[in-house]
Amino acid sequence: MKYAFYPGCVAKGGAPELYQSTLAVTKALGIELVELEGAACTGAGVLSERNPELADTLNARTFAMAERHGLPLMNICSTCHGVMCQANARMQKDPAYLERINTHLAPEGLHYSGKTVVKHLLWVLMEDVGIDAIKAKISKPLGDLKAAPFYGCYIVRPSWVLGYDEMPQRKRYLEDLIEALGAESVEYTGKDKCCGFPILTMNRDNSLKMTGTHVLEAQDKGADFMVTPCPLCHLNLDGSQVEASDAVKAHLDMPVLHLPQLVGVALGIEPKALGLHKNMVNTRRLVEQFAKL
Amino acid sequence: MIFEHDVLVIGAGMAGLRSAIEANRAGADVAILTKVYPVRSHTNAAQGGINAALGEGDSWESHAYDTVKGSDFLGDQDAIEILAQEAPSDIIELEHMGVIFNRDEEGRLGSRNFGGATHARTYFVADITGQAMLHVGYEQILKYKIPCYNEFFATSLILEGGEAKGCLAIELRTGEMHMVKAKAVIMCTGGVGRAFEPSTNALICTGDGMALAYQAGAPLMDMEMVQYHPTTLPSNGALLTEGARGEGAYLINSLGERFMQKYAPNMLELASRDVVSRSEQTEINEGRGINGCVLLDCRHLGEQVIRTKLSQIYDLAKDFSGIDLVKEPVPIRPGMHYIMGGIKTDVNGRTMLPGLFAAGETACISLHGGNRLGANSLLELVVFGRRAGAAAAEHAARSQHSGAGEKRLKQDDDTIRELLGREDKGEHAGPLRMELGRTMHENVGVYRTAEGLTKAIGLVAQLKERYRRISVGDKGQVFNTNLTAALELGNMLDVSEAICRGSLMREESRGAQFRLDFPDRNDEQWLKHTLAYKDGDSVRMDTLPVKITRWEPVKRTY
Amino acid sequence: MDVNLRVQRYDPAGDRKPYYEEYLLTGQPEGVTVLDALIEVRENVDETLGMRCSCRSSICGSCAMRINGQATLACKTRVSSVAQPDGSVTVEPMGNMPVLKDLVVDFEIFWNKINDIGPWLKTEGPVPEREYIVDNEKMLNLIGTVGCIMCGACVSDCTVLAADPDFLGPAALAKAYRFVGDPRDAHREERLADYVKDGGIWDCTHCYYCVEVCPKGVAPMEWILELRREAEAAGHTNHNGVRHSKVFAESVKEAGWLDEAKLAMESMGSLKEKLSLVPVGLRSLLHGKMPPTGPLHYKRPGADHVKRIFEELEAKE
Repeated sequence: MKYAFYPGCVAKGGAPELYQSTLAVTKALGIELVELEGAACTGAGVLSERNPELADTLNARTFAMAERHGLPLMNICSTCHGVMCQANARMQKDPAYLERINTHLAPEGLHYSGKTVVKHLLWVLMEDVGIDAIKAKISKPLGDLKAAPFYGCYIVRPSWVLGYDEMPQRKRYLEDLIEALGAESVEYTGKDKCCGFPILTMNRDNSLKMTGTHVLEAQDKGADFMVTPCPLCHLNLDGSQVEASDAVKAHLDMPVLHLPQLVGVALGIEPKALGLHKNMVNTRRLVEQFAKL
Repeated sequence: MIFEHDVLVIGAGMAGLRSAIEANRAGADVAILTKVYPVRSHTNAAQGGINAALGEGDSWESHAYDTVKGSDFLGDQDAIEILAQEAPSDIIELEHMGVIFNRDEEGRLGSRNFGGATHARTYFVADITGQAMLHVGYEQILKYKIPCYNEFFATSLILEGGEAKGCLAIELRTGEMHMVKAKAVIMCTGGVGRAFEPSTNALICTGDGMALAYQAGAPLMDMEMVQYHPTTLPSNGALLTEGARGEGAYLINSLGERFMQKYAPNMLELASRDVVSRSEQTEINEGRGINGCVLLDCRHLGEQVIRTKLSQIYDLAKDFSGIDLVKEPVPIRPGMHYIMGGIKTDVNGRTMLPGLFAAGETACISLHGGNRLGANSLLELVVFGRRAGAAAAEHAARSQHSGAGEKRLKQDDDTIRELLGREDKGEHAGPLRMELGRTMHENVGVYRTAEGLTKAIGLVAQLKERYRRISVGDKGQVFNTNLTAALELGNMLDVSEAICRGSLMREESRGAQFRLDFPDRNDEQWLKHTLAYKDGDSVRMDTLPVKITRWEPVKRTY
Repeated sequence: MDVNLRVQRYDPAGDRKPYYEEYLLTGQPEGVTVLDALIEVRENVDETLGMRCSCRSSICGSCAMRINGQATLACKTRVSSVAQPDGSVTVEPMGNMPVLKDLVVDFEIFWNKINDIGPWLKTEGPVPEREYIVDNEKMLNLIGTVGCIMCGACVSDCTVLAADPDFLGPAALAKAYRFVGDPRDAHREERLADYVKDGGIWDCTHCYYCVEVCPKGVAPMEWILELRREAEAAGHTNHNGVRHSKVFAESVKEAGWLDEAKLAMESMGSLKEKLSLVPVGLRSLLHGKMPPTGPLHYKRPGADHVKRIFEELEAKE
């Protein structure tokens, strides 16, 4: 199993623990990664808002790089994933548009045929590795722990761009994975809502209230921690949790794990190697619980 | 509570909104009362467009004649002349208000072909013309700050000295009975499709305004003229626009024949609706249908046309029949769609009850006579909504408010309380309505006979008898839709009786009325309208000659 | 087929809080919609069920409700397409609007927002004798927003409205574009000035919920983004949203990837806002994960090609 690996900006910037834990987990599961060092930012929806063709071109460039390796592409960010799937769908639907985009890639000697398969790590785990193979490698089933899944908008909507019509099981991948790892998945309404991060600099009050509401709901439903496949959600849920507590006038103390951190724990990888100490909300108590598993 | 306005418009479809705008412009304090919200009304369902002789080479006379011919010479020609003459300026006004009509290459209004029309004079907004117009009408209501009593259900008209002076209405949100006094009332409550099962009509089309006017003494005219639309979906009766055939779609039978070649060799699929519906029904009856349907075939129009100009029906066929119009023909059948008859009015919307005006489907001027042409209904709403609004404002200016008070309010309140207070042991409105609908469809549909009509009259009378003893299961005050369903059924029963009686009385076949026992048009005896008056518990019928200005009746062929 | 509806009920007269009631209908036709089933319940099983419905053809906008947790039109939803493995379909009233009874919500909130955007065409100058001459493409473009039937599904499920009832919300803002994008409207400038205020276009998180639930394919969010482009082009640039968007583009243009810290800092228009970032910045430092910023924000391999692509395509803006 081999992928062209697209880590995205945040895993190389503000969330190094995501990058670190991804490498650790893929290694443990025998997934080979070829990192696309020269790939640019997907635009995170911000660039496509300004200039759709520009954003699509940057993504076509990344897809072309994967194609040159002859590999499917794997990313580790719900936002990158959604943006890439949308760009891919636009280009695949309109060959003339794809050709125009290719003219922008030509000076670099790149060409995109429209065929690159884009998968988030979550989809790779559930569709390519498979639950059974993961289960076979679990050394620390997560026992009595309760995990609240938090998807991030772009890996769930618009559903028709993400193939949910053909694969409705994608709606429950996080829950299914959590349960496969031995933990209990907490049902709550916030799991597919917006974390508020995109408007943190535009309307901080709303942004923090959104994050605070979801964390509080997970906390009220008895979650021991939250888990997300989106580092941008993580920035708000984890990074801004202190401020979010004030926004919802409640004491929030909810560790938020990146998806590969959670898988890594169950695979028996050391918390330190997964960068759990780098999470903003203190994970010490959780790490102690993991140690007892 | 008791409210007062100069003019009260009941109903918030396009006729209601347009008349309110006009009354407001004339300086009247006007309010709208609706049992739903303004943008929910059934004007939405008009997909194809709105007619006007605006194009080069077209003339109002041509539009008028097509309408007269379409009506099978039953339409009053003075009214039709007004309709055709005023259509261009009313459409231009709609455009100025904001309707985003499709354009031609020069950026001018672009038109399409429609049934029964000799010119491409149908102006349109994709296949959501009614919706686009209705929403613009609502925008204008907001612009002029015209007050709306939303989700108020009118229970009766206030009558004083033989004049209409407002209405009583239940506020659905609270269940409270209110009185809205007005010096003039405009009835714009739409049709009565729910008296038929199936029907293309919305669940709210229950003939409330017709019934209220009729109960107050105003006559209903030409009620036998019930239009069956040629292309409705069998699953839920949903309408597929005539615009599809306007764009070139075919009708084919089980043998793959374009059967309209037999019935209307010149106009083919674009003959008038009564002709096409009857042709379809004949094909089906003679064994060339498929499960009670024939097929509408759009495939040769190509994906581009289907997706841009017919996108709504593309979705409807997909959602309700599971068919992709780009790839397959869709089964359709004639379905009850529209009533040409209604509260008799003059060309200014005046009914025969002073102070009461009417416009839109609920009125009968008569423009459509025996058969309405597609895209003339939206036009009627704006032309005659405007005229009714102006006339009502004028009437209000020289009229006084009613002296009615709490006592009158209590009358209706007591009626409702009595109904709600009955022990829940009687029959319920839902099943009774279903029986009514089936009775009307079976006996007062595309083909009629004296025998069937007599049977229907008997069944409706029985239903009325059973209706007296119905009970209401929901005893609550807030949003009691069960109560309103019961009141609506009462209205539909009265109107249905008038439909049956009109149909039995008219011993000829004309337009939408096809009597197997009188298969020919009979101009000698029946170049006249039927009138139905409520006379206690029965119906008194009368007739009125058709107004002919310049077009003598001739045989109608397409 | 059998239909098993789980309907949220609430009668303000007698119930302290909402509860669920199950209705099992047998022998329903295969194509039965959720609305057909609810009507069957109301007419033949339980007359007290409160709901709004009218056209049955997804054009009047009356019957929006939450089906299995997501707002949509009941008349458009076939039971067979939404039934859970156990055969059940959960039906609840829409969100973000208070429940009046059962599936009926208080819609005034929705209408007020529509009214707030000045929803009528405002022309100026002499009225032409005939129609305004306008490009058909521009009219066709507006059909995307005019297709809105005001059913409220987007407002129900808007994630921002859940946090902030003052947000104008997706339906009203899509309607706002209908006028901004209309060449006949003469008040484009003041409209945009109004829509960039708090509670307007910059408060949308582009979470795609409105795009997902809109039963008419209006995709309100896309029109909000269109309004942002229009507002920026019209000179409404003194906004954190515009700064955010510009700094984002600049940083990717220069280095091929995002300078997160710079983005956060330079998006903020006031010193007070910049200071609000200090705690999170300090926490990042303490956890050893301050992203490389400013001069430390290195260029990705091939960054010159990224810059070239930017230059080529920005010229086309």
